[in-house]
Amino acid sequence: MTSFLGPLDQAGRVPPLQQTRVAAFLISAHGALARRLAFALPGQMKVGWQTEINAQFYREAETVSLLMRATSWNPDPELLLLVPSWEVAWLPKPRTDLADATMAFMIDTAALGHAVHAAIRPAALLPDEASPEDPFAMALRRIEFESGRLMQAQIMLLKGPDLLPFRDAVNAAVEQRHLEVRELWDTMLRGIGVERAAKA
Amino acid sequence: MTYLKGRAHQKANLGCLTTDARMPFLAHGSHRIRYEISGPETGPAYVLVNGLTQYSELWAAYRDTLVKRKFGIVTFDLLGQGESDKPTLFIGQDDHVAVLRLLIDKLGDRPVFLAGISFGGIIALRYAIEHGDRLAGLVPMSTFSELPPQLALLGNAMRTGLILGGTGYLQDMLLPMNLSDAWLAPLMDKLDSVKRQGWLVNDVYALQNLMESFLDFKPLTPRLHEIRVPTMILNGEFDFLTPRTLHETLRAHIPDSALVIIPRAYHAFTLEKAALTADLLARFASEVLEKRWSGGGAVRIAPEEAGGEITPFPAEFDHLRAIPARKASS
Repeated sequence: MTSFLGPLDQAGRVPPLQQTRVAAFLISAHGALARRLAFALPGQMKVGWQTEINAQFYREAETVSLLMRATSWNPDPELLLLVPSWEVAWLPKPRTDLADATMAFMIDTAALGHAVHAAIRPAALLPDEASPEDPFAMALRRIEFESGRLMQAQIMLLKGPDLLPFRDAVNAAVEQRHLEVRELWDTMLRGIGVERAAKA
Repeated sequence: MTYLKGRAHQKANLGCLTTDARMPFLAHGSHRIRYEISGPETGPAYVLVNGLTQYSELWAAYRDTLVKRKFGIVTFDLLGQGESDKPTLFIGQDDHVAVLRLLIDKLGDRPVFLAGISFGGIIALRYAIEHGDRLAGLVPMSTFSELPPQLALLGNAMRTGLILGGTGYLQDMLLPMNLSDAWLAPLMDKLDSVKRQGWLVNDVYALQNLMESFLDFKPLTPRLHEIRVPTMILNGEFDFLTPRTLHETLRAHIPDSALVIIPRAYHAFTLEKAALTADLLARFASEVLEKRWSGGGAVRIAPEEAGGEITPFPAEFDHLRAIPARKASS
């Protein structure tokens, strides 16, 4: 096990099976966020930060589309089992200790978005020698870079004054989503020979 | 409250300290703090507190130098840094001080010297204000006790830079601000690899949380007089991120302090001039332990190299000016 993708081929490209598994995971996670945002958008026509939701929706869709194009796909039968398990994990899990169901749903959506954008660092999987011109490597770098910006909308909401009275519940929701997302990400990576915590 | 976990724990009795480095974890609530203790089992120990984008391995040169001079060394990753846990949303300054307290408690009754750089310097100052009786000496480096407009605006710009450009952009801003041409020049074609480890171990959200833990920064200046331990304040000659005036505030308010200016140094002199700084730390601690230390609000100039002479700043000149202006008569 290493903490980076590889071994790279002679052109500095990540092996197709690793590309396939990583891309499938990211498409599943970002696709789920796009769907959640699509549902949330119509209900937020009058709030100022619909600008953020609208932008996020298109960014998530861009991530999915980019990976579809940039990945060297390889047949991977394990995805038949893995994808459904990931999709189940992204389903809404609003906290039951909040009386306002809409707020609980909103917090869960933001918590999932924060976890996907913050806990998953696909570019950090690329070894130093990865070709800077490889489309898959470039896609991972772009996704990680954009994630840093995208999570600002979640941070603004989750740390904002409206949710301050529910700080403990918000914190618990985000910590829980981070835990779940990290676990799924790490498990997926171990399946392709990458141990994130291991030293290079 | 505390538990130990980690690779080293399986083979090390962490109740006592040995000459080998240990890499256990300390618990602060539900969070784990990665720390490392090296050096002799008894006698004085230095606790070193990281700056914002640091990680504990960056103190390696200090470990080597100070252990040779019979000091125990404690390094750790702050909550939100390196291999320590990264709280997802909220970190408070109080958390950092609480972690430091847990860590220093582990050293028993050994004389403890506490040194912190920049962001870590503030944590060290706060610890010294609140728990100063546990310290033998304090070394704030490239740090401050209040946020004047320039520093507040720079801090905000860095936060915005982190948000818009990621850790890499923050590093791009900090490297030329904090290090000299002499240090950077030979590395110009290797800067990406210099930055890579810091980029790998630091997550954007965690750095942002760390930065935001200082948004509600309450000035420490009114409480600096409560620091009663010998204090050596270190400031780089050319540090324009935290310039001389900020260190002057520390010197003026901490009773048993002296300000030592590091020649030709910028904000990150602990990285650039590790041998010199480690030597200054060792000399300061020895002077305190041998009761030879006298702060007295002095202003001194460090030597260019480790082992050189520390000289008084010429009394007739104003150490707050960059040109040799004579002091205004009071």
